Amino acid sequence: MPYEFDEILETIKMTEIEHFDIRTVTMGISLRDCADRNIEVTKQKIYEKILKFAGNHVKIAEEIERKYGISIANKRVSVTPISIPFGSFTADEYIQIAETLDKAALEIGVDYLAGYSALVQKGMTTGELELIKSIPGALANTKTICSSVNVGSTKAGINMDAVLIMSETIKKTAELTADRDSIGCAKLVVFANAVEDNPFVAGAFHGVSEPEVVINVGISGPGVVLEAIKSAGNVSVQELAEVIKKTVFKITRAGELIGRKAAEMNGVEFGIVDISLAPTPAEGDSVGDILKAMGLEDVGAPGTTAALAMLNDSVKKAGLMASSSVGGLSGAFIPVSEDQGMIRAVEKGNLSLEKLEAMTAVCSVGLDMIAIPGKTPAETIAGIIADEAAIGIINDKTTAVRIIPAVGKDVGDSVDYGGLLGKAPIMEVRELSPAAFVRRGGRIPAPTRSLTN
Amino acid sequence: MNISEELIRKITLQAIEELGEKATTENVKQVVSKSLEKLGAEEQTFKTTPEDSGRVILTSFGLNHPGIVSGITAALSEAECDIHDISQKLMGEFYTMIMIIDITNSKKDIKQLQEDLNKVAEKLKVKVYLQHEDVFRYMHRI
Repeated sequence: MPYEFDEILETIKMTEIEHFDIRTVTMGISLRDCADRNIEVTKQKIYEKILKFAGNHVKIAEEIERKYGISIANKRVSVTPISIPFGSFTADEYIQIAETLDKAALEIGVDYLAGYSALVQKGMTTGELELIKSIPGALANTKTICSSVNVGSTKAGINMDAVLIMSETIKKTAELTADRDSIGCAKLVVFANAVEDNPFVAGAFHGVSEPEVVINVGISGPGVVLEAIKSAGNVSVQELAEVIKKTVFKITRAGELIGRKAAEMNGVEFGIVDISLAPTPAEGDSVGDILKAMGLEDVGAPGTTAALAMLNDSVKKAGLMASSSVGGLSGAFIPVSEDQGMIRAVEKGNLSLEKLEAMTAVCSVGLDMIAIPGKTPAETIAGIIADEAAIGIINDKTTAVRIIPAVGKDVGDSVDYGGLLGKAPIMEVRELSPAAFVRRGGRIPAPTRSLTN
Repeated sequence: MNISEELIRKITLQAIEELGEKATTENVKQVVSKSLEKLGAEEQTFKTTPEDSGRVILTSFGLNHPGIVSGITAALSEAECDIHDISQKLMGEFYTMIMIIDITNSKKDIKQLQEDLNKVAEKLKVKVYLQHEDVFRYMHRI
Protein backbone atom coordinates (compact mmCIF):
# COMPACT_ATOMS: atom_id res chain seq x y z
CA MET A 1 0.00 0.00 0.00
CA PRO A 2 1.47 3.44 -0.93
CA TYR A 3 0.35 4.90 2.41
CA GLU A 4 0.76 3.47 5.87
CA PHE A 5 -2.32 2.43 7.79
CA ASP A 6 -1.47 4.93 10.51
CA GLU A 7 -1.01 7.80 8.06
CA ILE A 8 -4.46 7.32 6.63
CA LEU A 9 -6.03 7.03 10.06
CA GLU A 10 -4.19 10.13 11.21
CA THR A 11 -5.76 12.18 8.42
CA ILE A 12 -9.21 10.76 9.14
CA LYS A 13 -8.78 11.52 12.85
CA MET A 14 -7.77 15.10 12.05
CA THR A 15 -10.70 15.82 9.78
CA GLU A 16 -13.38 13.87 11.62
CA ILE A 17 -12.54 14.26 15.30
CA GLU A 18 -10.08 17.10 15.79
CA HIS A 19 -11.94 19.80 13.81
CA PHE A 20 -9.28 20.21 11.17
CA ASP A 21 -10.87 22.22 8.44
CA ILE A 22 -10.07 24.89 5.98
CA ARG A 23 -11.24 27.99 7.77
CA THR A 24 -11.72 30.03 4.66
CA VAL A 25 -11.28 30.00 0.92
CA THR A 26 -11.30 33.66 -0.04
CA MET A 27 -11.49 34.97 -3.57
CA GLY A 28 -9.82 38.33 -3.95
CA ILE A 29 -11.28 40.44 -6.75
CA SER A 30 -9.88 43.72 -8.00
CA LEU A 31 -12.52 46.41 -8.41
CA ARG A 32 -10.12 48.97 -9.80
CA ASP A 33 -11.72 48.84 -13.24
CA CYS A 34 -15.22 49.45 -11.84
CA ALA A 35 -14.94 53.18 -11.20
CA ASP A 36 -17.23 55.54 -13.07
CA ARG A 37 -18.34 59.13 -12.51
CA ASN A 38 -21.89 57.91 -12.27
CA ILE A 39 -22.70 56.05 -9.04
CA GLU A 40 -25.35 53.88 -10.71
CA VAL A 41 -22.91 52.71 -13.41
CA THR A 42 -20.29 52.06 -10.71
CA LYS A 43 -22.70 49.93 -8.70
CA GLN A 44 -23.67 47.94 -11.75
CA LYS A 45 -20.05 47.35 -12.72
CA ILE A 46 -19.18 46.17 -9.21
CA TYR A 47 -22.14 43.82 -9.03
CA GLU A 48 -21.46 42.32 -12.44
CA LYS A 49 -17.77 41.83 -11.80
CA ILE A 50 -18.30 40.01 -8.52
CA LEU A 51 -20.95 37.77 -10.02
CA LYS A 52 -18.81 37.06 -13.04
CA PHE A 53 -15.77 35.85 -11.11
CA ALA A 54 -17.24 34.55 -7.87
CA GLY A 55 -20.50 33.17 -9.25
CA ASN A 56 -19.26 29.59 -8.92
CA HIS A 57 -16.99 30.18 -5.93
CA VAL A 58 -19.25 28.51 -3.35
CA LYS A 59 -20.26 25.66 -5.66
CA ILE A 60 -16.63 24.84 -6.45
CA ALA A 61 -15.62 24.99 -2.80
CA GLU A 62 -18.39 22.55 -1.91
CA GLU A 63 -17.24 20.20 -4.64
CA ILE A 64 -13.69 20.28 -3.24
CA GLU A 65 -14.98 19.63 0.27
CA ARG A 66 -16.66 16.45 -0.87
CA LYS A 67 -13.74 15.29 -2.95
CA TYR A 68 -11.09 15.57 -0.25
CA GLY A 69 -13.26 15.04 2.79
CA ILE A 70 -12.00 18.25 4.37
CA SER A 71 -14.66 20.74 5.27
CA ILE A 72 -14.29 24.35 4.19
CA ALA A 73 -15.89 26.39 6.94
CA ASN A 74 -16.25 29.64 5.03
CA LYS A 75 -16.34 30.84 1.47
CA ARG A 76 -15.58 34.51 1.21
CA VAL A 77 -14.74 37.34 -1.13
CA SER A 78 -12.35 40.23 -0.62
CA VAL A 79 -12.20 43.30 -2.82
CA THR A 80 -9.90 46.25 -3.48
CA PRO A 81 -10.07 48.73 -0.58
CA ILE A 82 -13.22 50.58 -1.63
CA SER A 83 -11.72 54.02 -0.97
CA ILE A 84 -9.07 53.50 -3.66
CA PRO A 85 -11.00 53.12 -6.92
CA PHE A 86 -14.05 55.06 -5.73
CA GLY A 87 -12.37 58.04 -4.10
CA SER A 88 -14.70 60.60 -5.69
CA PHE A 89 -17.84 59.54 -3.84
CA THR A 90 -19.50 60.90 -0.74
CA ALA A 91 -20.37 59.01 2.44
CA ASP A 92 -23.97 58.44 1.29
CA GLU A 93 -22.80 57.09 -2.03
CA TYR A 94 -20.30 54.80 -0.28
CA ILE A 95 -23.17 53.31 1.69
CA GLN A 96 -24.91 52.55 -1.60
CA ILE A 97 -21.74 50.78 -2.75
CA ALA A 98 -21.75 48.76 0.50
CA GLU A 99 -25.34 47.74 -0.16
CA THR A 100 -24.45 46.70 -3.70
CA LEU A 101 -21.54 44.61 -2.40
CA ASP A 102 -23.87 43.04 0.16
CA LYS A 103 -26.40 42.20 -2.52
CA ALA A 104 -23.70 40.55 -4.65
CA ALA A 105 -22.36 38.59 -1.66
CA LEU A 106 -25.82 37.27 -0.78
CA GLU A 107 -26.45 36.38 -4.41
CA ILE A 108 -23.30 34.25 -4.71
CA GLY A 109 -23.81 32.75 -1.26
CA VAL A 110 -20.62 33.79 0.56
CA ASP A 111 -20.86 34.54 4.26
CA TYR A 112 -18.69 37.66 4.29
CA LEU A 113 -17.37 40.15 1.77
CA ALA A 114 -14.46 42.18 3.06
CA GLY A 115 -12.60 45.18 1.73
CA TYR A 116 -14.77 48.12 2.73
CA SER A 117 -11.46 49.62 3.64
CA ALA A 118 -9.08 52.54 3.62
CA LEU A 119 -5.31 52.73 4.06
CA VAL A 120 -4.60 55.97 5.89
CA GLN A 121 -1.39 55.34 7.81
CA LYS A 122 0.24 58.47 6.49
CA GLY A 123 -2.72 60.68 5.74
CA MET A 124 -6.28 60.73 4.51
CA THR A 125 -7.66 61.73 1.14
CA THR A 126 -11.11 63.29 0.88
CA GLY A 127 -12.49 59.99 -0.39
CA GLU A 128 -10.94 58.04 2.46
CA LEU A 129 -12.41 60.40 5.02
CA GLU A 130 -15.82 60.02 3.39
CA LEU A 131 -15.49 56.24 3.44
CA ILE A 132 -14.58 56.22 7.14
CA LYS A 133 -17.58 58.47 7.84
CA SER A 134 -19.80 55.98 6.03
CA ILE A 135 -18.58 52.89 7.93
CA PRO A 136 -21.15 52.88 10.79
CA GLY A 137 -24.04 53.25 8.35
CA ALA A 138 -22.60 50.72 5.93
CA LEU A 139 -22.12 48.10 8.64
CA ALA A 140 -25.56 48.72 10.12
CA ASN A 141 -27.30 48.45 6.73
CA THR A 142 -25.58 45.30 5.48
CA LYS A 143 -25.24 41.70 6.57
CA THR A 144 -22.02 40.47 5.01
CA ILE A 145 -19.82 43.53 4.62
CA CYS A 146 -16.61 43.76 6.65
CA SER A 147 -14.56 46.89 7.00
CA SER A 148 -10.97 47.62 7.93
CA VAL A 149 -8.85 50.73 8.20
CA ASN A 150 -5.07 50.74 8.38
CA VAL A 151 -3.86 53.54 10.66
CA GLY A 152 -0.18 52.74 11.06
CA SER A 153 2.81 51.12 9.41
CA THR A 154 6.49 50.65 10.14
CA LYS A 155 7.29 52.83 7.13
CA ALA A 156 4.87 55.64 7.93
CA GLY A 157 4.34 55.67 11.69
CA ILE A 158 0.92 56.00 13.31
CA ASN A 159 -1.67 58.45 12.05
CA MET A 160 -3.07 59.61 15.38
CA ASP A 161 -5.81 61.67 13.72
CA ALA A 162 -7.05 58.49 12.07
CA VAL A 163 -6.76 56.59 15.36
CA LEU A 164 -9.10 59.05 17.04
CA ILE A 165 -11.52 59.13 14.12
CA MET A 166 -11.59 55.33 14.11
CA SER A 167 -12.32 55.13 17.83
CA GLU A 168 -15.27 57.47 17.28
CA THR A 169 -16.32 55.36 14.29
CA ILE A 170 -16.24 52.23 16.47
CA LYS A 171 -18.43 53.94 19.08
CA LYS A 172 -20.91 55.05 16.44
CA THR A 173 -20.99 51.61 14.83
CA ALA A 174 -21.75 50.11 18.24
CA GLU A 175 -24.61 52.53 18.72
CA LEU A 176 -26.13 51.95 15.30
CA THR A 177 -26.17 48.18 15.90
CA ALA A 178 -27.02 48.41 19.62
CA ASP A 179 -30.13 46.28 19.13
CA ARG A 180 -27.89 43.38 17.98
CA ASP A 181 -25.27 43.49 20.75
CA SER A 182 -23.30 46.09 18.71
CA ILE A 183 -22.45 43.42 16.12
CA GLY A 184 -21.25 46.05 13.63
CA CYS A 185 -18.01 46.33 15.61
CA ALA A 186 -17.33 42.62 15.09
CA LYS A 187 -16.96 43.45 11.40
CA LEU A 188 -14.65 46.42 11.80
CA VAL A 189 -10.88 46.12 12.20
CA VAL A 190 -8.31 48.85 12.83
CA PHE A 191 -4.91 47.72 11.56
CA ALA A 192 -1.27 48.57 11.70
CA ASN A 193 0.87 47.00 8.96
CA ALA A 194 -2.17 45.42 7.27
CA VAL A 195 -1.32 42.74 4.71
CA GLU A 196 -2.66 42.66 1.18
CA ASP A 197 -3.36 38.96 0.86
CA ASN A 198 -5.01 38.12 4.16
CA PRO A 199 -7.85 35.65 3.54
CA PHE A 200 -9.37 36.04 7.02
CA VAL A 201 -12.22 38.43 7.66
CA ALA A 202 -12.99 40.93 8.98
CA GLY A 203 -9.58 42.27 7.97
CA ALA A 204 -9.32 40.89 4.43
CA PHE A 205 -8.91 43.13 1.43
CA HIS A 206 -7.55 42.63 -2.07
CA GLY A 207 -4.38 44.71 -2.08
CA VAL A 208 -3.40 47.01 -4.93
CA SER A 209 -0.41 44.89 -5.90
CA GLU A 210 -2.52 41.74 -6.21
CA PRO A 211 -3.60 40.26 -9.57
CA GLU A 212 -7.07 40.69 -11.09
CA VAL A 213 -8.52 37.70 -9.24
CA VAL A 214 -6.83 35.38 -6.78
CA ILE A 215 -7.68 32.55 -4.39
CA ASN A 216 -6.22 32.68 -0.88
CA VAL A 217 -6.72 30.02 1.75
CA GLY A 218 -6.73 30.17 5.53
CA ILE A 219 -6.32 26.96 7.48
CA SER A 220 -7.58 26.23 10.95
CA GLY A 221 -6.13 23.55 13.12
CA PRO A 222 -5.98 24.38 16.85
CA GLY A 223 -7.86 21.14 17.60
CA VAL A 224 -5.26 19.07 15.76
CA VAL A 225 -2.34 20.82 17.47
CA LEU A 226 -4.05 20.44 20.85
CA GLU A 227 -4.41 16.68 20.43
CA ALA A 228 -0.80 16.34 19.26
CA ILE A 229 0.46 18.23 22.32
CA LYS A 230 -1.73 16.19 24.65
CA SER A 231 -0.49 12.91 23.23
CA ALA A 232 3.16 14.08 23.35
CA GLY A 233 2.94 13.95 27.14
CA ASN A 234 5.57 15.42 29.44
CA VAL A 235 8.39 16.27 27.03
CA SER A 236 10.81 19.20 26.91
CA VAL A 237 9.69 22.37 25.14
CA GLN A 238 12.12 21.67 22.31
CA GLU A 239 10.46 18.34 21.67
CA LEU A 240 7.09 20.04 21.97
CA ALA A 241 8.11 22.52 19.26
CA GLU A 242 8.94 19.53 17.08
CA VAL A 243 5.49 18.00 17.66
CA ILE A 244 3.77 21.28 16.76
CA LYS A 245 5.86 21.67 13.61
CA LYS A 246 5.10 18.18 12.34
CA THR A 247 1.38 18.68 12.82
CA VAL A 248 1.23 22.12 11.27
CA PHE A 249 3.30 20.90 8.34
CA LYS A 250 0.61 18.39 7.44
CA ILE A 251 -2.32 20.75 7.74
CA THR A 252 -0.50 23.41 5.72
CA ARG A 253 0.03 20.89 2.93
CA ALA A 254 -3.66 20.09 2.93
CA GLY A 255 -4.41 23.83 2.82
CA GLU A 256 -2.18 24.30 -0.18
CA LEU A 257 -3.85 21.41 -2.01
CA ILE A 258 -7.31 22.88 -1.40
CA GLY A 259 -6.18 26.35 -2.47
CA ARG A 260 -4.53 25.16 -5.66
CA LYS A 261 -7.55 23.07 -6.64
CA ALA A 262 -9.97 25.90 -5.90
CA ALA A 263 -7.89 28.30 -7.99
CA GLU A 264 -7.60 25.82 -10.83
CA MET A 265 -11.31 25.07 -10.92
CA ASN A 266 -12.19 28.76 -10.78
CA GLY A 267 -9.67 29.39 -13.55
CA VAL A 268 -7.84 32.02 -11.50
CA GLU A 269 -4.44 32.41 -9.89
CA PHE A 270 -3.56 30.78 -6.58
CA GLY A 271 -2.26 33.27 -4.03
CA ILE A 272 -1.24 32.13 -0.59
CA VAL A 273 -1.93 29.79 2.29
CA ASP A 274 -2.37 31.62 5.56
CA ILE A 275 -1.17 29.18 8.21
CA SER A 276 -2.72 30.99 11.15
CA LEU A 277 -4.07 28.77 13.90
CA ALA A 278 -7.58 30.16 13.80
CA PRO A 279 -9.81 28.92 16.62
CA THR A 280 -13.57 28.46 16.38
CA PRO A 281 -16.10 28.51 19.22
CA ALA A 282 -16.34 24.69 18.88
CA GLU A 283 -15.16 22.89 22.01
CA GLY A 284 -11.55 21.71 21.61
CA ASP A 285 -10.79 24.02 18.68
CA SER A 286 -9.07 26.53 20.92
CA VAL A 287 -5.69 28.24 21.10
CA GLY A 288 -6.39 28.91 24.79
CA ASP A 289 -6.66 25.16 25.39
CA ILE A 290 -3.34 24.62 23.58
CA LEU A 291 -1.64 27.03 25.99
CA LYS A 292 -3.17 25.14 28.89
CA ALA A 293 -2.08 21.81 27.43
CA MET A 294 1.45 23.23 27.28
CA GLY A 295 1.36 23.44 31.06
CA LEU A 296 -0.25 26.72 32.10
CA GLU A 297 -2.95 26.63 34.76
CA ASP A 298 -4.96 29.00 32.63
CA VAL A 299 -4.46 31.57 29.89
CA GLY A 300 -3.18 34.71 31.58
CA ALA A 301 -0.81 32.94 33.95
CA PRO A 302 2.79 34.21 33.98
CA GLY A 303 4.47 32.29 31.15
CA THR A 304 1.53 32.71 28.78
CA THR A 305 3.42 35.08 26.49
CA ALA A 306 6.41 32.73 26.30
CA ALA A 307 4.26 29.70 25.54
CA LEU A 308 2.37 31.61 22.86
CA ALA A 309 5.61 32.89 21.34
CA MET A 310 6.91 29.36 20.99
CA LEU A 311 3.62 28.11 19.54
CA ASN A 312 3.50 30.95 17.04
CA ASP A 313 7.10 30.46 15.96
CA SER A 314 6.69 26.71 15.52
CA VAL A 315 3.62 27.28 13.38
CA LYS A 316 5.55 29.62 11.08
CA LYS A 317 8.56 27.32 10.76
CA ALA A 318 6.40 24.35 9.81
CA GLY A 319 4.33 26.39 7.39
CA LEU A 320 7.38 27.75 5.62
CA MET A 321 8.68 24.24 4.99
CA ALA A 322 5.32 22.92 3.86
CA SER A 323 4.45 25.53 1.27
CA SER A 324 6.31 28.11 -0.75
CA SER A 325 3.20 30.26 -0.85
CA VAL A 326 2.82 31.11 2.82
CA GLY A 327 1.41 34.58 3.31
CA GLY A 328 -1.33 36.60 4.93
CA LEU A 329 -1.05 36.84 8.70
CA SER A 330 0.27 33.35 9.43
CA GLY A 331 0.56 33.03 13.19
CA ALA A 332 -1.80 32.12 15.99
CA PHE A 333 -5.03 34.05 16.47
CA ILE A 334 -6.26 34.86 19.94
CA PRO A 335 -9.76 36.24 19.41
CA VAL A 336 -11.55 36.15 22.75
CA SER A 337 -15.13 35.51 21.66
CA GLU A 338 -14.25 32.81 19.13
CA ASP A 339 -12.22 30.63 21.47
CA GLN A 340 -13.76 28.66 24.37
CA GLY A 341 -10.46 28.54 26.28
CA MET A 342 -10.08 32.31 26.10
CA ILE A 343 -13.72 32.93 27.02
CA ARG A 344 -13.36 30.78 30.13
CA ALA A 345 -10.13 32.53 31.14
CA VAL A 346 -11.80 35.94 30.87
CA GLU A 347 -14.91 34.78 32.74
CA LYS A 348 -12.77 33.48 35.60
CA GLY A 349 -10.94 36.79 35.74
CA ASN A 350 -7.62 35.15 34.82
CA LEU A 351 -7.06 37.06 31.61
CA SER A 352 -6.93 40.85 31.56
CA LEU A 353 -6.82 43.26 28.66
CA GLU A 354 -3.22 44.16 29.56
CA LYS A 355 -2.06 40.52 29.46
CA LEU A 356 -3.82 40.07 26.14
CA GLU A 357 -1.98 43.10 24.82
CA ALA A 358 1.35 41.57 25.85
CA MET A 359 0.37 38.35 24.09
CA THR A 360 -0.34 40.21 20.86
CA ALA A 361 3.29 41.28 20.72
CA VAL A 362 4.32 37.72 19.91
CA CYS A 363 1.52 36.42 17.71
CA SER A 364 -0.91 37.48 15.06
CA VAL A 365 -2.94 39.47 15.09
CA GLY A 366 -3.97 41.71 17.96
CA LEU A 367 -6.77 42.57 20.35
CA ASP A 368 -9.40 40.62 18.52
CA MET A 369 -13.11 40.26 19.30
CA ILE A 370 -12.92 41.89 22.68
CA ALA A 371 -16.06 43.28 24.26
CA ILE A 372 -15.68 46.22 26.62
CA PRO A 373 -18.22 48.31 28.56
CA GLY A 374 -20.37 50.50 26.32
CA LYS A 375 -19.59 53.54 28.43
CA THR A 376 -15.86 53.40 27.56
CA PRO A 377 -14.95 56.85 26.14
CA ALA A 378 -13.74 57.11 22.53
CA GLU A 379 -10.41 58.51 23.75
CA THR A 380 -9.76 55.37 25.79
CA ILE A 381 -10.46 53.22 22.74
CA ALA A 382 -8.08 55.46 20.79
CA GLY A 383 -5.43 54.80 23.46
CA ILE A 384 -5.96 51.04 23.11
CA ILE A 385 -5.67 51.28 19.31
CA ALA A 386 -2.53 53.42 19.55
CA ASP A 387 -0.89 50.94 21.96
CA GLU A 388 -1.61 48.04 19.66
CA ALA A 389 -0.45 49.94 16.58
CA ALA A 390 2.76 50.83 18.42
CA ILE A 391 3.46 47.14 19.08
CA GLY A 392 2.91 46.56 15.37
CA ILE A 393 5.09 49.29 13.91
CA ILE A 394 7.98 48.84 16.33
CA ASN A 395 8.10 45.07 15.85
CA ASP A 396 7.43 45.28 12.12
CA LYS A 397 4.39 43.01 12.37
CA THR A 398 0.68 43.23 11.76
CA THR A 399 -1.48 44.17 14.69
CA ALA A 400 -5.16 44.93 14.81
CA VAL A 401 -7.93 45.97 17.11
CA ARG A 402 -11.42 44.57 16.75
CA ILE A 403 -13.11 45.86 19.85
CA ILE A 404 -16.79 46.01 20.76
CA PRO A 405 -17.92 48.74 23.16
CA ALA A 406 -21.22 46.95 23.77
CA VAL A 407 -23.92 49.56 24.24
CA GLY A 408 -25.73 49.24 27.58
CA LYS A 409 -23.46 46.48 28.87
CA ASP A 410 -20.86 46.41 31.62
CA VAL A 411 -18.37 44.04 33.24
CA GLY A 412 -20.24 40.87 34.19
CA ASP A 413 -22.45 40.95 31.08
CA SER A 414 -21.60 39.35 27.77
CA VAL A 415 -22.45 39.68 24.10
CA ASP A 416 -23.48 36.58 22.18
CA TYR A 417 -23.50 36.47 18.38
CA GLY A 418 -23.66 32.72 17.92
CA GLY A 419 -21.94 31.01 14.99
CA LEU A 420 -18.30 31.73 14.26
CA LEU A 421 -18.29 35.11 16.01
CA GLY A 422 -19.12 33.40 19.29
CA LYS A 423 -19.66 34.96 22.68
CA ALA A 424 -17.60 37.57 24.50
CA PRO A 425 -17.68 38.43 28.20
CA ILE A 426 -17.31 42.18 28.77
CA MET A 427 -13.72 42.89 29.85
CA GLU A 428 -12.66 45.51 32.30
CA VAL A 429 -10.92 48.58 30.86
CA ARG A 430 -8.76 50.83 33.06
CA GLU A 431 -10.43 54.16 33.64
CA LEU A 432 -7.27 56.28 33.45
CA SER A 433 -7.73 58.70 30.57
CA PRO A 434 -5.33 59.14 27.64
CA ALA A 435 -7.57 61.93 26.26
CA ALA A 436 -5.01 64.74 26.24
CA PHE A 437 -2.47 62.52 24.50
CA VAL A 438 -4.72 61.14 21.77
CA ARG A 439 -6.29 64.56 21.16
CA ARG A 440 -2.91 66.07 20.27
CA GLY A 441 -3.39 64.73 16.75
CA GLY A 442 -0.68 64.45 14.12
CA ARG A 443 1.41 61.42 13.33
CA ILE A 444 3.77 59.37 15.47
CA PRO A 445 6.89 59.41 13.30
CA ALA A 446 8.08 56.20 11.65
CA PRO A 447 10.49 54.23 13.88
CA THR A 448 14.18 53.83 13.08
CA ARG A 449 13.30 50.36 11.83
CA SER A 450 11.69 52.01 8.81
CA LEU A 451 15.09 53.13 7.55
CA THR A 452 16.28 49.81 6.20
CA ASN A 453 17.57 50.94 2.83
CA MET B 1 -12.75 34.46 -21.48
CA ASN B 2 -12.63 38.02 -20.37
CA ILE B 3 -15.41 40.12 -21.88
CA SER B 4 -13.88 43.55 -22.14
CA GLU B 5 -15.63 46.80 -22.89
CA GLU B 6 -13.80 46.88 -26.19
CA LEU B 7 -15.38 43.59 -27.20
CA ILE B 8 -18.84 44.83 -26.26
CA ARG B 9 -18.26 47.95 -28.34
CA LYS B 10 -17.18 45.81 -31.31
CA ILE B 11 -20.26 43.59 -31.03
CA THR B 12 -22.48 46.66 -30.80
CA LEU B 13 -20.95 48.29 -33.86
CA GLN B 14 -21.31 45.09 -35.86
CA ALA B 15 -24.91 44.70 -34.74
CA ILE B 16 -25.69 48.26 -35.85
CA GLU B 17 -24.02 47.67 -39.19
CA GLU B 18 -25.89 44.41 -39.82
CA LEU B 19 -29.25 45.80 -38.73
CA GLY B 20 -28.70 48.77 -41.01
CA GLU B 21 -31.68 51.08 -41.13
CA LYS B 22 -33.72 48.77 -38.92
CA ALA B 23 -31.43 49.49 -35.98
CA THR B 24 -33.19 50.95 -32.96
CA THR B 25 -31.87 51.32 -29.43
CA GLU B 26 -34.05 48.41 -28.32
CA ASN B 27 -33.13 45.81 -30.91
CA VAL B 28 -29.41 46.63 -30.81
CA LYS B 29 -29.52 46.09 -27.07
CA GLN B 30 -31.28 42.77 -27.58
CA VAL B 31 -28.78 41.50 -30.14
CA VAL B 32 -25.80 42.57 -28.04
CA SER B 33 -27.07 41.03 -24.82
CA LYS B 34 -27.83 37.78 -26.67
CA SER B 35 -24.29 37.56 -28.06
CA LEU B 36 -22.88 38.33 -24.62
CA GLU B 37 -25.01 35.62 -23.05
CA LYS B 38 -23.62 33.17 -25.58
CA LEU B 39 -20.07 34.17 -24.72
CA GLY B 40 -20.89 33.93 -21.03
CA ALA B 41 -22.34 30.46 -21.48
CA GLU B 42 -19.17 29.23 -23.14
CA GLU B 43 -17.23 30.67 -20.27
CA GLN B 44 -19.24 28.85 -17.61
CA THR B 45 -18.14 25.34 -18.57
CA PHE B 46 -15.31 24.64 -16.21
CA LYS B 47 -12.75 22.02 -16.82
CA THR B 48 -11.88 18.95 -14.81
CA THR B 49 -8.30 18.54 -13.70
CA PRO B 50 -6.31 16.40 -16.08
CA GLU B 51 -3.55 15.37 -13.67
CA ASP B 52 -5.95 13.82 -11.17
CA SER B 53 -4.93 10.26 -10.55
CA GLY B 54 -8.54 9.08 -10.22
CA ARG B 55 -7.59 7.12 -7.13
CA VAL B 56 -9.56 7.51 -3.96
CA ILE B 57 -9.01 6.11 -0.52
CA LEU B 58 -11.84 4.45 1.31
CA THR B 59 -11.59 4.16 5.07
CA SER B 60 -14.12 2.25 7.06
CA PHE B 61 -14.34 1.44 10.74
CA GLY B 62 -16.76 0.37 13.40
CA LEU B 63 -17.88 -2.68 15.36
CA ASN B 64 -16.87 -5.87 13.59
CA HIS B 65 -19.57 -8.17 12.24
CA PRO B 66 -19.94 -10.43 9.20
CA GLY B 67 -20.81 -8.89 5.85
CA ILE B 68 -19.02 -5.52 6.05
CA VAL B 69 -16.42 -6.16 3.33
CA SER B 70 -18.99 -7.82 1.12
CA GLY B 71 -21.48 -4.97 1.58
CA ILE B 72 -18.93 -2.32 0.68
CA THR B 73 -17.34 -4.19 -2.22
CA ALA B 74 -20.77 -4.96 -3.68
CA ALA B 75 -21.49 -1.24 -3.91
CA LEU B 76 -18.07 -0.63 -5.46
CA SER B 77 -18.46 -3.40 -8.00
CA GLU B 78 -21.90 -2.14 -8.94
CA ALA B 79 -20.29 1.24 -9.68
CA GLU B 80 -17.51 -0.45 -11.70
CA CYS B 81 -14.72 0.68 -9.40
CA ASP B 82 -11.36 -1.05 -9.48
CA ILE B 83 -9.91 -2.02 -6.08
CA HIS B 84 -6.13 -1.54 -6.17
CA ASP B 85 -5.31 -2.42 -2.61
CA ILE B 86 -7.13 -3.54 0.47
CA SER B 87 -5.98 -3.87 4.04
CA GLN B 88 -7.78 -4.66 7.27
CA LYS B 89 -6.98 -4.70 10.97
CA LEU B 90 -8.93 -6.00 13.93
CA MET B 91 -8.48 -4.49 17.37
CA GLY B 92 -10.63 -6.36 19.83
CA GLU B 93 -14.16 -6.05 18.56
CA PHE B 94 -13.34 -3.06 16.33
CA TYR B 95 -12.24 -3.31 12.76
CA THR B 96 -10.56 -0.79 10.45
CA MET B 97 -10.37 -1.27 6.71
CA ILE B 98 -8.61 0.81 4.11
CA MET B 99 -8.96 0.43 0.35
CA ILE B 100 -7.32 2.19 -2.54
CA ILE B 101 -9.79 2.41 -5.39
CA ASP B 102 -9.48 3.57 -8.97
CA ILE B 103 -12.64 5.34 -10.09
CA THR B 104 -11.36 6.49 -13.49
CA ASN B 105 -13.59 4.03 -15.35
CA SER B 106 -16.49 4.17 -12.96
CA LYS B 107 -19.81 5.43 -14.25
CA LYS B 108 -20.18 7.38 -11.02
CA ASP B 109 -18.22 10.34 -9.70
CA ILE B 110 -16.86 10.66 -6.17
CA LYS B 111 -19.98 12.48 -4.95
CA GLN B 112 -22.36 9.78 -6.16
CA LEU B 113 -20.10 7.07 -4.75
CA GLN B 114 -20.07 8.82 -1.39
CA GLU B 115 -23.86 8.88 -1.42
CA ASP B 116 -24.05 5.19 -2.29
CA LEU B 117 -21.54 4.22 0.37
CA ASN B 118 -23.25 6.33 3.00
CA LYS B 119 -26.37 4.27 2.46
CA VAL B 120 -24.35 1.04 2.78
CA ALA B 121 -22.62 2.39 5.89
CA GLU B 122 -25.92 3.23 7.49
CA LYS B 123 -27.25 -0.25 6.83
CA LEU B 124 -24.09 -1.91 8.18
CA LYS B 125 -23.90 0.54 11.12
CA VAL B 126 -20.26 1.44 10.35
CA LYS B 127 -18.44 4.58 9.17
CA VAL B 128 -17.23 4.88 5.59
CA TYR B 129 -15.16 7.81 4.32
CA LEU B 130 -14.16 8.35 0.72
CA GLN B 131 -11.45 10.90 0.01
CA HIS B 132 -9.35 11.65 -3.02
CA GLU B 133 -5.81 10.26 -2.81
CA ASP B 134 -4.21 13.69 -3.21
CA VAL B 135 -5.05 14.77 0.32
CA PHE B 136 -3.00 11.88 1.73
CA ARG B 137 -0.20 12.45 -0.77
CA TYR B 138 0.03 16.13 0.18
CA MET B 139 -0.08 15.51 3.92
CA HIS B 140 2.21 12.51 4.22
CA ARG B 141 4.60 12.66 1.26
CA ILE B 142 7.04 15.42 0.40
